[in-house]
Amino acid sequence: MGEKTDVKQGTLALMVLKTLDVLGPLHGWGIARRIEQISGNLLSLNQGTLYPLLLKLEQEGSIESDWGASENNRRARYYRLTRSGRKQLQSEVDEWQQTTEIMARFLTAKAEEL
Amino acid sequence: MKALRRLVNRIGNFLAGRSGEQRLREEMEEHVAMETQENLRAGMTPMEARRQALIKWGGADAVREQYHAEKGLPGLETIVHDLRDAIRQLRKAPGFSATVIITLALGIGATTAIFTLVHQVMLKSLPVAKPEELWRIGDKIRCCNWGGYAQGFDGDFSLFSWEAYKNFREHTPEFVDLAALQAGSAPLGVRRGGSNAAVQTFNGQEVSGNFFRMLGVQPWIGRMMTDADDQIGVPPVAVMSYRTWEMKYGSDPSVVGGSFQLNGHAFTVIGVTPPGFYGAKLSGSQMPDFWLPITAEDILGGPVSRIKHANENYLDILGRVRPGVNPTALEAKLRVEFHDWLASHVADMVPIEKQVWEKQTLHIAPGGGGIAVMRDQYQDGLKLLLIAAGCVLLVACGNLANLMLARGLRNRTQTSVRVAMGATRLRLVRRALVESVMLAVIGGAFGVGVAYGGTRLILHLAFQIGGPNNFVPVSAEPSWPVLLFTLGLSIVTGGIFGTAPAWMTSNADPVEALRGANRSVGQGRSWIQKSLVIAQAAMSLVLLSAAALLIQSLRNLEHQDFGFEMTGRYIAWINPTLGSYKPEQMEQVYRRVDEGLMKVPGVRMVAPALYAPMTGDSWNSGVRIQGSPEPGPKENTSAGWARVMPGFFETIGAKMLMGRALNEDDTAATRVVAVVNEAFVKRFFKDQNPIGRHFGFGGIKDSSMFEIVGVVKDIRYMTQDYKEPVGPMAWVSELQTPHFDDPARQEGEKFSHFLYNIVIWAPGDPPGVKQEVRKALASVDTNLVLYAVDPYESVVSADFQQENMIATLTSLFGLLGLVLAAVGLYGVMAYTVEQRTNEIGLRMALGADRKDVVSMVLKGAFWQIGIGLGIGIPLAIVAGRLMKDQLFGVQPWNPVMLLAAAGLLAAAAMVASLVPVRRAVGVEPMVALRNE
Repeated sequence: MGEKTDVKQGTLALMVLKTLDVLGPLHGWGIARRIEQISGNLLSLNQGTLYPLLLKLEQEGSIESDWGASENNRRARYYRLTRSGRKQLQSEVDEWQQTTEIMARFLTAKAEEL
Repeated sequence: MKALRRLVNRIGNFLAGRSGEQRLREEMEEHVAMETQENLRAGMTPMEARRQALIKWGGADAVREQYHAEKGLPGLETIVHDLRDAIRQLRKAPGFSATVIITLALGIGATTAIFTLVHQVMLKSLPVAKPEELWRIGDKIRCCNWGGYAQGFDGDFSLFSWEAYKNFREHTPEFVDLAALQAGSAPLGVRRGGSNAAVQTFNGQEVSGNFFRMLGVQPWIGRMMTDADDQIGVPPVAVMSYRTWEMKYGSDPSVVGGSFQLNGHAFTVIGVTPPGFYGAKLSGSQMPDFWLPITAEDILGGPVSRIKHANENYLDILGRVRPGVNPTALEAKLRVEFHDWLASHVADMVPIEKQVWEKQTLHIAPGGGGIAVMRDQYQDGLKLLLIAAGCVLLVACGNLANLMLARGLRNRTQTSVRVAMGATRLRLVRRALVESVMLAVIGGAFGVGVAYGGTRLILHLAFQIGGPNNFVPVSAEPSWPVLLFTLGLSIVTGGIFGTAPAWMTSNADPVEALRGANRSVGQGRSWIQKSLVIAQAAMSLVLLSAAALLIQSLRNLEHQDFGFEMTGRYIAWINPTLGSYKPEQMEQVYRRVDEGLMKVPGVRMVAPALYAPMTGDSWNSGVRIQGSPEPGPKENTSAGWARVMPGFFETIGAKMLMGRALNEDDTAATRVVAVVNEAFVKRFFKDQNPIGRHFGFGGIKDSSMFEIVGVVKDIRYMTQDYKEPVGPMAWVSELQTPHFDDPARQEGEKFSHFLYNIVIWAPGDPPGVKQEVRKALASVDTNLVLYAVDPYESVVSADFQQENMIATLTSLFGLLGLVLAAVGLYGVMAYTVEQRTNEIGLRMALGADRKDVVSMVLKGAFWQIGIGLGIGIPLAIVAGRLMKDQLFGVQPWNPVMLLAAAGLLAAAAMVASLVPVRRAVGVEPMVALRNE
């Protein structure tokens, strides 16, 4: 197993929003698992960052939460995207794609092109 | 937007005390369960599955902090926690808290009391619209009449005649409105129209018709004066102050429109000013009760009305400048206007004025504070007091710092534990900051109470002279700026003097401290405590020595050689001009007064005078000696003079040196005579025999007016310039009137026959003499207005009331400083003894006796006091030098005063050490050793 990296600053919020966008309402554990899985277990989610982040997003109004029943019939808190969260996700995705595009161009640039 | 929403949420959570802890815990438990399930599915044993899940998801406490920080407002919340903790700590140590709070209340209260006055006397603007637009023509405070076309040796005009004022007003459109007000006061005897009751005395002030409009003052009821009321020949009107209306006329609305007899002339009161308005001049006495138009001077003054003469300067000028006018340009323009006006009067000038009129100038000054008579009078004293109060506050702060430091050191174990538990230094300091600022603010709150009492005391000391009826628009009630000042002061003192010790005690190394927390190691920081005590001792020495100098100076002032006797003498203050007497009648009136008063048991002699020595009044004229040439412009020819009834010198116990006193043989039929003082002879006769020589007031042609018949020993007459020798002075008789060619001067001469002070010599303190004098005067004539009868000593000590106030307050501050320094010393010594209990016990066990212990403890204390004295004595000398202007007959370097102050400090130190020393001596060796 390779070295696990911490999630880069600022990207976790985007991952959480995207996860909720794709999978619909989900509890915290599910979100964490999902992020780890998609990253191919390369990312290790610090629990100390996840809870405060969820709270922050909720206070900002990007997500909302409610108690619901989990798969094994326990009480769990489910998070889902709000309308403004969806908008935020869209704009952040656009921004991110732009950034990665620019970065990709820079990194693949050859001498003669410059 | 999002950030705002989040903030609102967080504030909501903070206020509701929602921490969300419950929700977090449930959520986390759930997640641990899910992870465990997952791990089981992956084939782990149940125990291992749970363990791994907990490792990954179970660090509840670590998460909680961060979660919590996200949810509420952690910074504020910690402060609230600190505050709660601080209150708990303070309750636990009531002695400590009370000491700190009382100390601070005294220090802050003293400073606030002085600041209350500084604010009202020196900083505050007039309570009128846009005071910043007001400018004054003239920059000096002068009272109250200044005759001539030249003013002062500097030629700096500050008082103006009515004609000069009208000239400015006409030619200076830069002023929206230019108003004039009387520099002095118009004493009024007032009776409501149709009433026969005795007249009541009030203060009047003549103002130009546009005065109220210029200030933007609206009437409370009725109307204010206008230019139409300020014309010669129109029906006379008056405006009443709200205070007079409320206190003397019971807020009776029929006052407006009512007729009033003012000095026997009918005036109509047209309106009442709004509450809080006191005019444009803040002064320590004679605040106006009535405002009259300037032209009322013609009615009240009659033949001596000042508005008829272009050289009678008695008006202050205050105007509202148009926005955007450049003051420098305005000043230049006013100077030109004034010179043009003076030029038109060259023909009227006396020879000296013709030489100097072109050198006359004027300055304009910001007038937002009005004509600041009180500031002029009190600013030096107030500055001195503010510094003294600041010193007291510093001593108090020293105590605060010392107490906090001592406690910080005592709580070292606790601090170490906190550090060990991960508290940062910043966190510890913040906690101390919250605590000390809270203490300081509580101290400040009590300080406001102390300040209120203190200010009342100061007002009483400063203004009691006018009697209980003397109204001064300075109030002891704290205003917003004062409260803000106090709050700021509290926060700053608490912040600095509470936090610095915390910073010093918070760098405890946890391990070392935990190991030997209760041992008497770590004496390293005690030098700070000791130097604080040294600084306090030095500071109190400076305060005490300043107080001693001021007290000595006051005593010198009160016991200087006045050249007359006060014991057994009284002054009856009257105002004959408020009745309907003619000056020619006055001699007869005074004869009847004399007769009436001589019947009072115990009265030996009576002598009315224009004004008696040290009563505050002064009449001056330029002297011309017969046979001498007209003096040059640089020559000081001014001499004081007073008109008196025969027997005056004997009544006041003055000593005749040559010739004779004025007596009953000097009558209207005989040659006009005068008595002069030694200074007069020295100045004008160069010590030749003056008897039989002639002099006069005014021009050289009048120089044969008086023949000198006697020389009296110098009498201290004026209530100023005590450091200067007594000036030249002459006395002339009530029974005589010299002849002048100029009818106006003849009228003026006649009016000097109204005498305002009756000196009564009644030795041996006859019982009820004041009452008897009152009765006797009333029986002479009910129209004779009597203000008061005072023993001469109290008249003179009232002359020194400001010096008295400053000396009293500085002594108070000195004692306060001393007590606080003693408390500081006590605190440090008690702490030291406590810390050294084991050491003392050990020493005693090894054979040290009580004497050794006492000397060991005292040595420390006296070292500190000794160094404090070493620093304080030179500082006290420097302070004495800085106060030189305030001192009379005292050298700033006065070994006796210094020794006395040092002795007092040493005595206080002795008292402060008493308890700690007793405690040290009482240490039981065994108990101390067992503590180890």
